[in-house]
Amino acid sequence: MYDVLLNSPVSAEAQTLLPTVETMVGVLYFGLFAISFDFVSGYTGYLSFGHAVFYGTGAYTVILVANGKVPLLGPGTPFMLSLLVGGLLAVVLAILVGLVSFRLSGVYFAMITLGFAQVLYVFVRGWDYVANNPRDGPAVGPSHVEGFQIGVPGVDQLSLAIGVLTGDEVSLLGSTLSSTAVSYYMVGLVVLGCYFAMQRIIHSPFGRVLLAIRENEERAVAVGYNTYLYKLGAFAISGFFAAVAGGLFAGFRRSASPENSFYFLVTGDALLASIIGGFGTLAGPLYGRLFDETVREFLSPAGQGGGLLPYLRALLGQETLDAAVVGNETVGGLIDLLLNGHASLYVGIVFVLFVLYVPDGLLGTLRSRVGGTFAEAVPARIWGDDR
Amino acid sequence: MILEALADFLTVSELGGVVVNGLAKSALYVMIASGLTLIFGLMGVLNFAHGSLTMVGAYLGGLLMVVTVSGGTPPLTRLALFFVAVVVAFALLSVLGGAIETTIIRPLYDRPPIYQILLTFGLTLVIEEVVRIVLDVYGLQPISDWQAALATKPQFLREPVALGPVSVGWMAMFQILLGTLTVAGIWAFLTKTRYGLYIRAGSEDAEMASALGIDVRQVFTVVFALGIGLAGAAGTLLMWDPTWGASVPLAAETLLPAFIVVIVGGLGTFRGTVVAALVVGMTDAVTTWWFQNAIEFTGLPELVLFLVLVVTLIVRPQGLFGVEEVGGH
Amino acid sequence: MSVLELAGVHTYYGDSHILEGVDLDVSEGEVVALAGRNGVGKTTTLRTILQLTPPREGEITFRGESLVGLETHDVAARGLGWIPEDRRIFGQLTVEENLRAAIPEPGDVAAGLDLAFESFPILEERRGQDAGTLSGGQQQMLAIARGLVGDNDLLLVDEPSEGLAPQIVADVAEALSRASEDVTMLLVEQNLPLALDLADRFYILDKGRVVDEGETAAVSADDERFRRYLSA
Repeated sequence: MYDVLLNSPVSAEAQTLLPTVETMVGVLYFGLFAISFDFVSGYTGYLSFGHAVFYGTGAYTVILVANGKVPLLGPGTPFMLSLLVGGLLAVVLAILVGLVSFRLSGVYFAMITLGFAQVLYVFVRGWDYVANNPRDGPAVGPSHVEGFQIGVPGVDQLSLAIGVLTGDEVSLLGSTLSSTAVSYYMVGLVVLGCYFAMQRIIHSPFGRVLLAIRENEERAVAVGYNTYLYKLGAFAISGFFAAVAGGLFAGFRRSASPENSFYFLVTGDALLASIIGGFGTLAGPLYGRLFDETVREFLSPAGQGGGLLPYLRALLGQETLDAAVVGNETVGGLIDLLLNGHASLYVGIVFVLFVLYVPDGLLGTLRSRVGGTFAEAVPARIWGDDR
Repeated sequence: MILEALADFLTVSELGGVVVNGLAKSALYVMIASGLTLIFGLMGVLNFAHGSLTMVGAYLGGLLMVVTVSGGTPPLTRLALFFVAVVVAFALLSVLGGAIETTIIRPLYDRPPIYQILLTFGLTLVIEEVVRIVLDVYGLQPISDWQAALATKPQFLREPVALGPVSVGWMAMFQILLGTLTVAGIWAFLTKTRYGLYIRAGSEDAEMASALGIDVRQVFTVVFALGIGLAGAAGTLLMWDPTWGASVPLAAETLLPAFIVVIVGGLGTFRGTVVAALVVGMTDAVTTWWFQNAIEFTGLPELVLFLVLVVTLIVRPQGLFGVEEVGGH
Repeated sequence: MSVLELAGVHTYYGDSHILEGVDLDVSEGEVVALAGRNGVGKTTTLRTILQLTPPREGEITFRGESLVGLETHDVAARGLGWIPEDRRIFGQLTVEENLRAAIPEPGDVAAGLDLAFESFPILEERRGQDAGTLSGGQQQMLAIARGLVGDNDLLLVDEPSEGLAPQIVADVAEALSRASEDVTMLLVEQNLPLALDLADRFYILDKGRVVDEGETAAVSADDERFRRYLSA
């Protein structure tokens, strides 16, 4: 799809606007993390500000297993199994953290989960067992040179490896899918599976209790629900999927650092994605992340895929770029200054505007416009409302 | 090994040094946290942008010093200029704080408190990126400390002074002085002025205060402005401290300790914040000593501080001096 | 001459319709009691007057000027005082600070404090004490004193006897009765004999509407008119 667009007449525009496939893989696994964050925070109203700890757990588990540093699990352990192990570790962690944290609410809950996560962040950053230089974090070592395989463990025909350099390439109907494209589909498969699992849970009676907790916890208690157990359950489930997301991230990138996995600003990115996409919509955070990454790449420094900067440079031509605007600042210099790598500014402004004016986020607002989820509303519009 | 270290730790010179360093750290902590606690106490807004604004204060204070100080400026003039810089940073950031409150915080008072967290979190992104752009223009490195600003510090503040058997840095003494002045100033403002009375009344029951004729909205704006101003003053002080220094990551480096201090003290109580700053500062100094002398784990002080946060929330969620009404805000 | 007038006032909490067209008026120097069962909108009426819960419809005038749309502190500045349910004194402030917070600016603080301490000598004894440590009766005295020092023309008094021992209730009633010599009052009170004793006129509120009104001199607490709307 991306390739087709690149060969089309609007290729310059397409390359400018669309994120690369590699970025899209990131959108998928981080989107899953953001979805898992939304699962507990958006649906119960308890802001899990230490959610990155589960993401980090998943990421570190995958790498440490591959490096043979986890007891009982050799470097040859199937990737799918390490994902599961990481998820289960996160469940245990979530239950331990949740047991004490869910006695609190509001700001206090956010702070205690943040505290726990930062304790682990600092610990992992200083623990030299995980990596030679724990501050930089671990990378997959020589004991696992092959790519991580997604699919049915042990059945080669049903598994494909992911990674930019280590992934499989697939020839299909005469066209070749690059390793990045294969990674995109395989990671996408897992993310989709996880999304459906969470969606099933949200639409089950269990999920309805979570919503009741968000709306009015006292009433939920009065009706006879043990809300503490429900919250704990939601936290554990959400931790599991956050760890799977972290595992996918580590499997694709083959390295992780405390800063991009355990650190509290990673939770901040999930929060960002959730708000822009729609808090409490489950699928919304994925779109939020897509938006975030698209803007970032659009405004990224020159040389990485497309983006606005090279496009403007090509469009305006050298003469315009060299023209002076204020003092000795040129147009080119000004464009460079305001755009080059400063996507956070624009994402931040959009985020603030969303909090102020679009509190339901992209998906939340669209859903309330069409009156229901798209899966229900679109057929209803097309076929009429006679069902 | 551990016993040896303990014996060493308990000598007068070592322990004395740890206590003075602890007080100096407490002074910094109280400065970065007091604005946060005033704002939360009155408005229930947990300001995630507090660290970013402290960072802005560090650059602003640094800028004023770099512009006014030259190589030949005598030490006392530098000190005097520094106090001017603190006041100017306080004033400018107060104005910025007032503007932020009236334009974007005010519309959110009717929404659940989570939205204020979200909004101020978004604000940090914007502020930090604007700072990066400005630094770009002047060709400064955003990640590393601003050396030119550090260089405006008078020479004697880099030197140790002997207090009996204890050798401490002049800088530590200077920080303790400024922290004490700040605490005394805030305390006097809160208890001795009419506006302070309104702030305390509004913190307890904003609705009742308004029914007594107090313009609580205006008090909100003033407190937000003052709180941000305090962040700016704290930033200016940190700009001269080599372990902090003016840099973009200073935002996150100050935000997390500030959170720890206000939560441990009890969200919104100024007295609690002062006591918690002492607790946290001392803990920091003690664990830093142990890390430097006996235990090899690099993150020890930071790890222990977060443990203090977690344990406080488990054992006494309302904090040392908080009112027992957890989650009320 | 009527000081306060409510005409067709409708108030909502979210979607629930609490006041469904309240009409009442209070004249200069009067004490007017507002009676009714729990949840019929008595407290909401007071909150609506103060614009703490602004009305969605209807008019509220104080000395001929509309209060609707004003900020609460502006309403208070025009001379309306609130002595709320549960007293709502500032527990972490001293007794004196509670009073100072209520004295309008620029006001004569010393004169205000004198007025309060004259009416309630116990408050002078406790002036430096945190108000949260006072007994329930003393807190109620402080709440009333706060209403008095505010230079108010009209006091909105909500359940002043609630949760107090009978002996203390008598003291509070005595204090209110003395206060009513100087200010106009709109009084919400469950204790009907007390309310009738203090008030000149009464309104009965039911389901967000005024259903009956009259002079207190003409009725007693066990009158049929009250039994119909007040018994559970």
